[in-house]
Amino acid sequence: MADRRRINGPVGTTLPPIFDRPSPPRDRVENPENAIRKIFLKTGVTPSASGSAYLELESPNMTSPSNTSLKLTCTVHGPRALPRSAPFSPHIILTTHVKYAPFATKQRRGYLRDSSERDLGVHLETALRGAIIADRWPKSGADIIVTIIEGDQDRNAPENQRDDCWDMMNVLSGCITVASAAIADAGIDCVDTVAGGVAALVAKDATSSPSIVLDPAVADYHKIHAACCIAYLPTRDEVTNIWFKGQLPGADVMLYNNMVERALIACRNANRVVVTALKKTINAEQEAS
Amino acid sequence: MAMAQAQTVAVPGQLLGSSSKYVAGPGTHIHESNLYSSLLGTIRIVQPEKAPGPAKRMHRIAALNTPNTPSSTSTLPAISVSPASSGAAEQHDKREVLPEVGNIVLCRVTRITPREATVSILVVGDAMLSAQWQGVVRVQDVRATEKDRVKIYESFRPGDIVRAQVISLGDQANYYLSTANNELGVIMAISEAGNTMFPVTWKEYKDPETGLSESRKVAKPL
Repeated sequence: MADRRRINGPVGTTLPPIFDRPSPPRDRVENPENAIRKIFLKTGVTPSASGSAYLELESPNMTSPSNTSLKLTCTVHGPRALPRSAPFSPHIILTTHVKYAPFATKQRRGYLRDSSERDLGVHLETALRGAIIADRWPKSGADIIVTIIEGDQDRNAPENQRDDCWDMMNVLSGCITVASAAIADAGIDCVDTVAGGVAALVAKDATSSPSIVLDPAVADYHKIHAACCIAYLPTRDEVTNIWFKGQLPGADVMLYNNMVERALIACRNANRVVVTALKKTINAEQEAS
Repeated sequence: MAMAQAQTVAVPGQLLGSSSKYVAGPGTHIHESNLYSSLLGTIRIVQPEKAPGPAKRMHRIAALNTPNTPSSTSTLPAISVSPASSGAAEQHDKREVLPEVGNIVLCRVTRITPREATVSILVVGDAMLSAQWQGVVRVQDVRATEKDRVKIYESFRPGDIVRAQVISLGDQANYYLSTANNELGVIMAISEAGNTMFPVTWKEYKDPETGLSESRKVAKPL
């Protein structure tokens, strides 16, 4: 991807600064079984957008100084008039853009969206379309732009042959959660606050048998067999998007169902964060007025 | 109109009550005979208006103009969710409103052709729009009588401020507007000399300095 119009950074890996004294190794924190990593969520961070939100994921086992592993910002522009060339639409038209910042992952990203980013955008659009009441806004469009400032990767983890696509699941669930908050902030009608959650079938080390965990920090596990990312409307008990990847060992049919059930628990947890963040926004606005 | 000051907040998907107890107002939706919020904001409950004696014969446009108030037949209070930022004066109202069929809008004429006048819609009801919405007043919608003798250039000029009613969502780009009513038409006009004019008849605006009159589709001054 040769982009001649911009000054490009170095191609390939960039190394984070190495400190003289490495931070003391923290005790490995095992998440409780039905808990997800802590989420920081705040709405109204971009004044120029009609709605916006910022999400950060805490990662207790991370060795980096900031102690975070996923940083997302989402802006919603609209509802606004469709471009003149667009055909008549009786409902709102969503456009989703998901973009990694060039420095978000170990492998530098280009300025143009690649196939994985477009893939995330399509998944995000499906997840949100089920939550939005589209016919409240005829003849209008909304652009939803998610920028991944920091991907869900451990930068100090050694380079290995591990397939690094698993962290896309966590990124997608974060995208869904942050976009849901930004849409509510923009005042676009929704049937519910949608939230994303991930469950994965992991092996903790080479000898242990696979088990299902919520919200897996990819670097913490020896091998990930399968993962499933779900967008879920809790009050309606509806799933708007499901993305399952990987191979389930054996012929256990219930394993798939179990993974979906566990992912729904992760969704409910994330949804609680969204609702709390939204209520906090509105209470702050009421105090200001 | 009694306004219950129940300042409780709602998030999208929050249960507000049974649809047998309330009428769904703006910002809410009905799912399985229950009312849910569809917006982030504060809940407002508006008691139905008591009909004061025999109702006056409603003007056609006035009736269309008030979709938010419950119809006089319903006795249930209307529940609605309004975004919180609209209450804060220093914050600009982030909530977009869309022109709907029946709304009275204020717009500025941007372009005229023999068939239609193109306008940009500025205000819907009492809400300012932040986005650009384009509308069209077709020649047959300018006035109710003698439609075949209407000439657009004798009714509107670019720059005029027009009060109009939305009659259709229109085509891909334009809302269709109508000024076929006494209350609708040009409410502010600038003469060719550049002075603000005042209306003298249903068809004329007059420049106070040059004394020349120009023809317009004049709205009845309120």
